[in-house]
Amino acid sequence: MGIHSVGTSDAALVRRVRTGDTGAYADLVARYRDRLGRYALHMLGNREDAEEVLQDAFVRAYRSLARCDDPERFGAWLYGILVNRCRTGGARAARRARRFVHDPAALETAPLAGPDGRAEWDDTVRWALARLPTESREAFLLKHVEELEYEDMARLTGAGISALKMRVKRAREQLQAMLKEAERV
Amino acid sequence: MFDPVDDLIERIARHLQRPVQIDPALDGRVMREITALPTPGGATALGRAWRWLRRRHQLTLTPLGGLAAAAALAVVVFLSRMDRTPSPAPRAESRAFQFVLVAPRATRISLVGDFNDWDATRTPMRRAGSEALWTAVVPLAPGRYHYAFLVDGSRWLADPSAPVARDEDYGAPSSVVTVGAGGGDS
Amino acid sequence: MTRAFIHTAVPLLAAMLVAGRAAAQQIDPRLERLDAATRPAVLALVDSARRDLLPTEPLVQRALEGATKRASGDVIVAAVRRLAVDLGHARQALGSTASPAELSAGAAALHAGASQTTLAELRHVRGEPLIVPLAVLADLVASGVPVDSAAAAVLSLARRARDADLVEFRRAVERDIALGAPPAAATAAAATAQSVDVNAGARQQRPGRP
Repeated sequence: MGIHSVGTSDAALVRRVRTGDTGAYADLVARYRDRLGRYALHMLGNREDAEEVLQDAFVRAYRSLARCDDPERFGAWLYGILVNRCRTGGARAARRARRFVHDPAALETAPLAGPDGRAEWDDTVRWALARLPTESREAFLLKHVEELEYEDMARLTGAGISALKMRVKRAREQLQAMLKEAERV
Repeated sequence: MFDPVDDLIERIARHLQRPVQIDPALDGRVMREITALPTPGGATALGRAWRWLRRRHQLTLTPLGGLAAAAALAVVVFLSRMDRTPSPAPRAESRAFQFVLVAPRATRISLVGDFNDWDATRTPMRRAGSEALWTAVVPLAPGRYHYAFLVDGSRWLADPSAPVARDEDYGAPSSVVTVGAGGGDS
Repeated sequence: MTRAFIHTAVPLLAAMLVAGRAAAQQIDPRLERLDAATRPAVLALVDSARRDLLPTEPLVQRALEGATKRASGDVIVAAVRRLAVDLGHARQALGSTASPAELSAGAAALHAGASQTTLAELRHVRGEPLIVPLAVLADLVASGVPVDSAAAAVLSLARRARDADLVEFRRAVERDIALGAPPAAATAAAATAQSVDVNAGARQQRPGRP
């Protein structure tokens, strides 16, 4: 799918949206959909929840666009909204999983019971990531996958830098412990 | 120096950094939701003032200044209580709704429904920003409307992001949009 | 004097009656799109609805939809007739003060299989404009939810839920059905969850922190 205004800056698009050009918001959505969707997918573990949370984040961002003080950093600002929505989305997904224990679709996407036997690397990584505590998974993804600085992570999450460093360290240790066995197979 | 833990984490990170394709239909769903919302507008002077007000400030006040402020507040409270005229209930009125369809291979699309007499010439959709995104804006008063997209003059398409309009009569798929008395859509 | 009065008033009255009837039967130019065989039957149904003080616009739109979709005349007439009957039943259930929009939504719910009793109960528990609750009921059934389950869920929520809550409830059910949940179970679960949220107060909708 082509994007006509690929050369137009985020700030310019935000300004157009604020004057009533909702079509410009479609460009922003298209621009950030996959990038933010990657974080939501890894954070929540399945596509349906990730898309729901992503859609919610885009709508909330539109609603509060007047509060985006620095339109040049629209992406980072939107990211903060998404991180917050992923926390709520994760809780909702957990409630739903408890309701439909016989849902075959849910069982197909559930983490593996354990790293015994041969497993594809993708399945293994997803399994390990899903087993991390939420805060550790969030910190790991922001640091190592999205490659943010700790100062930016602190702004997005509201957590202190020391706490974030501890969460990343714990995540690394847990992933290493879980995947050490899987690597041997 | 080779650090096996770093190497493993690096492999995981590289794996998770692979591009992810989210369903482009999400764009249409987002746009459909935001059309019911007011234009967000810019950071107004009022907004900046509000944020200034919410921040902590240190204020020094003399006793006389304090008394004057209290008196002014009492006047404001007294005057506000004098005006008790209830405002009239708002009338139901039309609001603009934007319909969105993602159809990268279409050459022309019409929005057709109860709101335009099912006239396929009345509301042609236009491309909005991207090759695949088609939109049209229609004013809708509270009510329930059947509609569908007519693609390239011959193919009827229901709105994938809207409820289905149950219809055993005409065969072609349709969707439903409901506008409540408060103006929200479903 | 009396004869003069009769010679003046009676023709005048007759002319007024004829003019009134002609106005009622004035052809909606939009219905020119129907073929010559179909138009009179649809016009008769529209006139009948008008005399019964039912909204006629939904009937006209139903006919126009059929014309645009190239349905045959008898299919169009049957569809319009069915809608007219549903509108009448909706008015019986919702009361004579029901708005045209409520009657349309009510007709959709009846067409989906809801009973007049359900509509009357909905009016009783909620009172205010019922467009959205009725639409949610019809949409749930269209999604495959058994009508009894849909009716029970909407009635249980209608007392306290706002229109936006009912819309959210419908979306939650459709999402769960898409994920493979049985429609009735999805409806019951979403109604329970929504009921908890409604009872706890409206959810705060705050934007994320930048």
